[in-house]
Amino acid sequence: MKINLSRQYIYLISFSAFLLIFVLLFAFLVLIPEGKEYRKSRVDAKTQIKELHKYQYFNDETEATLKELQKKHRHIIVAFDAIFNPNKFQKQHKNYFSSLEISKLERKTNEKEFAVYEVSAVSKISSPKGFYDFLDAINKSDWIIGIDFPIDFVRDSELIKSTFTMNVYCNAKDENSTKKVEK
Amino acid sequence: MKYSYIKPRNKSAITPEIKLMLTFFSITLFMLFSTYAFLLYKDYSFTNELVHITNKKNRLETNIADMKVQILFIKKENVLAQKIQTKNAVLKDSITNLFDLVPERITLSEAKLDEKSLLLKGITPNKDVYNFMLQAPLRSIFHRTYSSFYPAGNGWLSFVSTNYTDDEKTVSQKEIEVEN
Repeated sequence: MKINLSRQYIYLISFSAFLLIFVLLFAFLVLIPEGKEYRKSRVDAKTQIKELHKYQYFNDETEATLKELQKKHRHIIVAFDAIFNPNKFQKQHKNYFSSLEISKLERKTNEKEFAVYEVSAVSKISSPKGFYDFLDAINKSDWIIGIDFPIDFVRDSELIKSTFTMNVYCNAKDENSTKKVEK
Repeated sequence: MKYSYIKPRNKSAITPEIKLMLTFFSITLFMLFSTYAFLLYKDYSFTNELVHITNKKNRLETNIADMKVQILFIKKENVLAQKIQTKNAVLKDSITNLFDLVPERITLSEAKLDEKSLLLKGITPNKDVYNFMLQAPLRSIFHRTYSSFYPAGNGWLSFVSTNYTDDEKTVSQKEIEVEN
Protein backbone atom coordinates (compact mmCIF):
# COMPACT_ATOMS: atom_id res chain seq x y z
CA MET A 1 0.00 0.00 0.00
CA LYS A 2 1.40 3.26 -0.97
CA ILE A 3 0.62 6.39 0.97
CA ASN A 4 0.59 9.31 -1.19
CA LEU A 5 1.12 12.46 0.83
CA SER A 6 1.15 15.82 -0.73
CA ARG A 7 4.01 18.15 -0.01
CA GLN A 8 1.65 20.43 1.86
CA TYR A 9 0.71 17.67 4.30
CA ILE A 10 4.34 16.84 4.87
CA TYR A 11 4.99 20.48 5.77
CA LEU A 12 1.96 20.52 8.00
CA ILE A 13 2.95 17.34 9.82
CA SER A 14 6.55 18.54 10.21
CA PHE A 15 5.45 21.91 11.56
CA SER A 16 2.99 20.26 13.95
CA ALA A 17 5.66 17.86 15.15
CA PHE A 18 8.07 20.77 15.69
CA LEU A 19 5.49 22.75 17.67
CA LEU A 20 4.57 19.69 19.71
CA ILE A 21 8.20 19.07 20.60
CA PHE A 22 8.60 22.76 21.47
CA VAL A 23 5.51 22.65 23.70
CA LEU A 24 6.70 19.52 25.47
CA LEU A 25 10.22 20.80 25.94
CA PHE A 26 8.99 24.17 27.16
CA ALA A 27 6.58 22.51 29.58
CA PHE A 28 9.08 20.06 31.05
CA LEU A 29 12.21 22.14 30.99
CA VAL A 30 10.88 25.57 31.84
CA LEU A 31 7.34 25.56 33.11
CA ILE A 32 7.46 22.65 35.56
CA PRO A 33 10.72 23.77 37.29
CA GLU A 34 9.35 27.31 37.47
CA GLY A 35 6.11 25.94 38.94
CA LYS A 36 8.07 24.04 41.58
CA GLU A 37 10.01 27.19 42.39
CA TYR A 38 6.74 29.10 42.66
CA ARG A 39 5.29 26.57 45.11
CA LYS A 40 8.44 26.71 47.22
CA SER A 41 8.40 30.52 47.23
CA ARG A 42 4.72 30.50 48.19
CA VAL A 43 5.39 28.21 51.15
CA ASP A 44 8.38 30.37 52.16
CA ALA A 45 6.31 33.54 51.91
CA LYS A 46 3.55 32.01 54.04
CA THR A 47 6.07 30.96 56.69
CA GLN A 48 7.65 34.40 56.68
CA ILE A 49 4.24 36.10 56.95
CA LYS A 50 3.37 33.87 59.91
CA GLU A 51 6.66 34.74 61.56
CA LEU A 52 6.08 38.43 60.85
CA HIS A 53 2.66 38.20 62.50
CA LYS A 54 4.34 36.66 65.56
CA TYR A 55 6.86 39.49 65.64
CA GLN A 56 4.07 42.04 65.21
CA TYR A 57 2.11 40.46 68.05
CA PHE A 58 5.17 40.41 70.31
CA ASN A 59 5.93 44.01 69.36
CA ASP A 60 2.37 45.09 70.22
CA GLU A 61 2.50 43.18 73.48
CA THR A 62 5.86 44.74 74.46
CA GLU A 63 4.62 48.19 73.47
CA ALA A 64 1.50 47.74 75.61
CA THR A 65 3.66 46.66 78.57
CA LEU A 66 5.96 49.65 78.07
CA LYS A 67 3.06 52.10 77.84
CA GLU A 68 1.45 50.61 80.93
CA LEU A 69 4.72 50.92 82.85
CA GLN A 70 5.22 54.48 81.61
CA LYS A 71 1.70 55.36 82.70
CA LYS A 72 2.02 53.62 86.07
CA HIS A 73 5.44 55.08 86.95
CA ARG A 74 5.05 58.42 85.23
CA HIS A 75 6.01 60.38 88.33
CA ILE A 76 9.19 58.37 88.87
CA ILE A 77 10.23 58.59 85.19
CA VAL A 78 9.67 62.34 85.08
CA ALA A 79 11.44 62.76 88.41
CA PHE A 80 14.52 60.87 87.21
CA ASP A 81 14.61 62.96 84.03
CA ALA A 82 14.10 66.25 85.86
CA ILE A 83 16.94 68.68 86.30
CA PHE A 84 17.40 69.61 89.93
CA ASN A 85 16.60 73.23 90.54
CA PRO A 86 17.63 74.43 94.03
CA ASN A 87 15.45 77.56 93.83
CA LYS A 88 12.37 75.56 92.90
CA PHE A 89 13.18 73.04 95.63
CA GLN A 90 13.49 75.80 98.21
CA LYS A 91 10.22 77.35 97.06
CA GLN A 92 8.40 74.03 97.27
CA HIS A 93 9.70 73.04 100.69
CA LYS A 94 10.26 76.30 102.54
CA ASN A 95 6.91 75.92 104.32
CA TYR A 96 8.30 73.10 106.43
CA PHE A 97 11.19 75.20 107.74
CA SER A 98 11.77 78.58 109.26
CA SER A 99 14.74 78.87 106.93
CA LEU A 100 16.32 76.59 104.33
CA GLU A 101 19.68 76.91 102.63
CA ILE A 102 20.82 74.60 99.88
CA SER A 103 24.45 74.20 98.82
CA LYS A 104 25.75 73.74 95.27
CA LEU A 105 25.10 70.44 93.57
CA GLU A 106 28.08 68.12 93.47
CA ARG A 107 28.41 64.88 91.63
CA LYS A 108 28.87 62.07 94.11
CA THR A 109 29.09 58.89 92.08
CA ASN A 110 29.59 58.17 88.45
CA GLU A 111 27.50 55.08 87.96
CA LYS A 112 26.58 53.63 84.63
CA GLU A 113 22.87 54.34 84.64
CA PHE A 114 22.15 56.77 87.44
CA ALA A 115 24.02 59.83 88.51
CA VAL A 116 23.93 60.85 92.16
CA TYR A 117 24.43 64.45 93.15
CA GLU A 118 24.98 65.58 96.69
CA VAL A 119 23.38 68.66 98.18
CA SER A 120 23.94 69.87 101.70
CA ALA A 121 21.05 71.57 103.41
CA VAL A 122 20.97 73.72 106.51
CA SER A 123 17.55 74.49 107.89
CA LYS A 124 15.86 75.79 110.95
CA ILE A 125 12.70 74.26 112.32
CA SER A 126 10.49 75.23 115.21
CA SER A 127 9.58 71.62 116.01
CA PRO A 128 10.56 68.17 114.74
CA LYS A 129 7.12 67.89 113.11
CA GLY A 130 8.28 70.22 110.33
CA PHE A 131 11.07 67.81 109.57
CA TYR A 132 8.71 64.83 109.57
CA ASP A 133 6.41 66.60 107.13
CA PHE A 134 9.42 67.47 104.99
CA LEU A 135 10.42 63.79 104.87
CA ASP A 136 6.90 62.89 103.80
CA ALA A 137 6.87 65.59 101.14
CA ILE A 138 10.29 64.69 99.74
CA ASN A 139 8.90 61.36 98.47
CA LYS A 140 6.34 63.26 96.42
CA SER A 141 8.67 65.95 95.13
CA ASP A 142 9.66 66.60 91.51
CA TRP A 143 12.99 64.83 91.95
CA ILE A 144 14.16 61.56 93.38
CA ILE A 145 15.81 62.61 96.61
CA GLY A 146 17.12 60.50 99.42
CA ILE A 147 18.05 62.03 102.76
CA ASP A 148 21.40 60.75 103.83
CA PHE A 149 23.29 60.53 107.09
CA PRO A 150 24.66 62.27 109.05
CA ILE A 151 21.74 64.36 110.24
CA ASP A 152 22.58 66.87 112.88
CA PHE A 153 20.03 68.65 115.06
CA VAL A 154 21.41 71.46 117.21
CA ARG A 155 19.41 73.67 119.49
CA ASP A 156 19.58 77.29 118.39
CA SER A 157 17.67 79.36 120.99
CA GLU A 158 13.98 78.65 120.26
CA LEU A 159 14.64 76.85 116.99
CA ILE A 160 16.33 73.62 115.95
CA LYS A 161 19.08 73.95 113.40
CA SER A 162 19.25 70.85 111.26
CA THR A 163 22.07 69.97 108.90
CA PHE A 164 21.66 67.09 106.53
CA THR A 165 22.73 65.78 103.15
CA MET A 166 20.42 65.05 100.28
CA ASN A 167 21.25 62.72 97.43
CA VAL A 168 19.57 63.70 94.18
CA TYR A 169 19.28 60.79 91.74
CA CYS A 170 18.86 61.28 88.02
CA ASN A 171 19.52 59.48 84.78
CA ALA A 172 23.20 59.31 83.96
CA LYS A 173 22.53 60.06 80.28
CA ASP A 174 21.33 63.51 81.29
CA GLU A 175 24.88 64.87 81.47
CA ASN A 176 23.93 68.48 80.83
CA SER A 177 21.63 68.69 83.82
CA THR A 178 24.37 69.49 86.33
CA LYS A 179 26.00 72.00 84.09
CA LYS A 180 22.70 73.78 83.81
CA VAL A 181 22.17 73.68 87.55
CA GLU A 182 25.69 74.71 88.46
CA LYS A 183 25.46 77.79 86.29
CA MET B 1 -10.22 28.39 -24.49
CA LYS B 2 -11.91 27.01 -21.48
CA TYR B 3 -11.05 23.63 -20.04
CA SER B 4 -13.64 23.62 -17.27
CA TYR B 5 -17.20 24.66 -16.86
CA ILE B 6 -16.74 25.85 -13.30
CA LYS B 7 -15.00 28.94 -12.14
CA PRO B 8 -11.62 28.23 -10.62
CA ARG B 9 -11.52 28.52 -6.82
CA ASN B 10 -9.04 30.85 -5.18
CA LYS B 11 -6.37 28.65 -3.72
CA SER B 12 -5.12 29.79 -0.30
CA ALA B 13 -1.99 28.72 1.52
CA ILE B 14 -4.00 28.47 4.74
CA THR B 15 -6.04 25.38 4.31
CA PRO B 16 -8.63 24.38 6.92
CA GLU B 17 -6.14 21.82 8.31
CA ILE B 18 -3.50 24.52 8.77
CA LYS B 19 -6.09 26.78 10.34
CA LEU B 20 -7.04 24.05 12.78
CA MET B 21 -3.44 23.33 13.62
CA LEU B 22 -2.58 27.00 14.00
CA THR B 23 -5.60 27.57 16.25
CA PHE B 24 -4.69 24.60 18.42
CA PHE B 25 -1.04 25.59 18.77
CA SER B 26 -1.81 29.27 19.26
CA ILE B 27 -4.11 28.46 22.13
CA THR B 28 -1.59 26.01 23.59
CA LEU B 29 1.33 28.42 23.24
CA PHE B 30 -0.73 31.29 24.63
CA MET B 31 -1.62 29.21 27.67
CA LEU B 32 1.97 28.09 28.12
CA PHE B 33 3.41 31.59 27.87
CA SER B 34 0.74 33.17 30.02
CA THR B 35 1.31 30.52 32.72
CA TYR B 36 5.03 31.15 32.50
CA ALA B 37 4.50 34.91 32.69
CA PHE B 38 2.22 34.42 35.71
CA LEU B 39 4.85 32.26 37.42
CA LEU B 40 7.60 34.78 36.67
CA TYR B 41 5.47 37.62 37.99
CA LYS B 42 4.59 35.68 41.13
CA ASP B 43 8.20 34.75 41.70
CA TYR B 44 9.17 38.41 41.41
CA SER B 45 6.38 39.47 43.72
CA PHE B 46 7.34 36.81 46.31
CA THR B 47 10.95 37.95 46.19
CA ASN B 48 9.85 41.54 46.74
CA GLU B 49 7.52 40.47 49.52
CA LEU B 50 10.26 38.48 51.21
CA VAL B 51 12.59 41.49 51.13
CA HIS B 52 9.80 43.66 52.54
CA ILE B 53 9.00 41.11 55.26
CA THR B 54 12.67 40.73 56.19
CA ASN B 55 13.07 44.50 56.48
CA LYS B 56 9.93 44.79 58.56
CA LYS B 57 11.04 41.92 60.79
CA ASN B 58 14.40 43.58 61.35
CA ARG B 59 12.68 46.86 62.20
CA LEU B 60 10.34 45.10 64.64
CA GLU B 61 13.23 43.21 66.18
CA THR B 62 15.15 46.45 66.78
CA ASN B 63 12.01 48.09 68.11
CA ILE B 64 11.33 45.20 70.49
CA ALA B 65 14.94 45.25 71.72
CA ASP B 66 14.72 49.03 72.33
CA MET B 67 11.44 48.69 74.19
CA LYS B 68 12.83 45.85 76.32
CA VAL B 69 15.76 48.08 77.30
CA GLN B 70 13.30 50.85 78.20
CA ILE B 71 11.14 48.45 80.23
CA LEU B 72 14.19 47.20 82.10
CA PHE B 73 15.32 50.75 82.77
CA ILE B 74 11.90 51.83 84.06
CA LYS B 75 11.87 48.79 86.34
CA LYS B 76 15.33 49.72 87.63
CA GLU B 77 14.19 53.32 88.17
CA ASN B 78 11.15 52.08 90.03
CA VAL B 79 13.18 49.75 92.26
CA LEU B 80 15.65 52.53 93.06
CA ALA B 81 12.86 55.05 93.73
CA GLN B 82 11.07 52.58 96.01
CA LYS B 83 14.33 51.91 97.85
CA ILE B 84 14.95 55.63 98.37
CA GLN B 85 11.36 56.28 99.46
CA THR B 86 11.51 53.38 101.92
CA LYS B 87 14.83 54.69 103.26
CA ASN B 88 13.27 58.15 103.74
CA ALA B 89 10.26 56.62 105.51
CA VAL B 90 12.50 54.53 107.77
CA LEU B 91 14.58 57.62 108.52
CA LYS B 92 11.46 59.53 109.47
CA ASP B 93 10.41 56.70 111.81
CA SER B 94 13.89 56.61 113.35
CA ILE B 95 13.86 60.35 114.04
CA THR B 96 10.32 60.18 115.40
CA ASN B 97 11.31 57.29 117.69
CA LEU B 98 14.41 59.16 118.83
CA PHE B 99 12.54 62.28 119.83
CA ASP B 100 9.79 60.19 121.45
CA LEU B 101 12.45 58.39 123.43
CA VAL B 102 13.69 61.53 125.15
CA PRO B 103 11.73 62.13 128.37
CA GLU B 104 10.37 65.57 129.16
CA ARG B 105 12.74 66.02 132.13
CA ILE B 106 15.77 65.78 129.87
CA THR B 107 16.52 68.59 127.43
CA LEU B 108 18.52 67.86 124.33
CA SER B 109 20.91 70.44 122.91
CA GLU B 110 22.22 68.33 120.05
CA ALA B 111 21.38 65.07 118.33
CA LYS B 112 23.59 63.69 115.60
CA LEU B 113 22.32 60.66 113.74
CA ASP B 114 24.65 58.58 111.66
CA GLU B 115 24.10 55.30 109.94
CA LYS B 116 25.40 53.24 112.85
CA SER B 117 25.78 55.74 115.64
CA LEU B 118 23.90 58.35 117.59
CA LEU B 119 25.34 61.25 119.54
CA LEU B 120 23.15 63.00 122.06
CA LYS B 121 24.05 66.08 124.04
CA GLY B 122 21.83 67.70 126.60
CA ILE B 123 21.12 68.41 130.20
CA THR B 124 19.55 66.22 132.85
CA PRO B 125 18.49 67.08 136.41
CA ASN B 126 20.56 64.13 137.72
CA LYS B 127 22.25 60.93 136.69
CA ASP B 128 19.39 58.71 137.82
CA VAL B 129 16.86 60.38 135.57
CA TYR B 130 19.26 59.98 132.67
CA ASN B 131 20.17 56.37 133.49
CA PHE B 132 16.61 55.15 133.95
CA MET B 133 14.74 57.24 131.44
CA LEU B 134 17.17 57.61 128.56
CA GLN B 135 20.12 55.30 128.86
CA ALA B 136 18.04 52.18 129.51
CA PRO B 137 16.03 52.45 126.28
CA LEU B 138 19.17 53.47 124.36
CA ARG B 139 20.95 50.34 125.60
CA SER B 140 18.13 48.19 124.30
CA ILE B 141 18.55 49.72 120.84
CA PHE B 142 22.33 50.09 120.50
CA HIS B 143 25.06 47.54 121.06
CA ARG B 144 27.43 49.95 122.77
CA THR B 145 26.49 53.02 124.81
CA TYR B 146 28.91 55.44 126.42
CA SER B 147 27.93 58.40 128.59
CA SER B 148 29.86 61.19 130.22
CA PHE B 149 28.65 63.94 132.53
CA TYR B 150 29.86 67.32 133.59
CA PRO B 151 28.21 70.01 135.68
CA ALA B 152 25.99 72.39 133.76
CA GLY B 153 26.18 75.23 136.24
CA ASN B 154 22.59 75.47 137.42
CA GLY B 155 22.80 72.27 139.44
CA TRP B 156 21.91 70.15 136.44
CA LEU B 157 24.27 67.88 134.60
CA SER B 158 25.32 68.13 131.01
CA PHE B 159 25.71 64.77 129.33
CA VAL B 160 27.20 63.42 126.17
CA SER B 161 25.87 60.07 125.07
CA THR B 162 27.48 58.17 122.22
CA ASN B 163 25.78 55.04 120.99
CA TYR B 164 26.93 52.54 118.40
CA THR B 165 25.35 49.68 116.54
CA ASP B 166 27.82 46.98 115.51
CA ASP B 167 27.65 45.00 112.33
CA GLU B 168 25.84 41.70 112.72
CA LYS B 169 29.12 39.92 111.90
CA THR B 170 30.96 41.70 114.71
CA VAL B 171 28.14 40.92 117.14
CA SER B 172 28.09 37.23 116.28
CA GLN B 173 31.90 37.06 116.54
CA LYS B 174 31.74 38.65 119.99
CA GLU B 175 29.05 36.18 121.03
CA ILE B 176 31.25 33.27 119.91
CA GLU B 177 34.22 34.71 121.81
CA VAL B 178 32.09 35.03 125.00
CA GLU B 179 30.81 31.46 124.62
CA ASN B 180 34.36 30.16 124.25
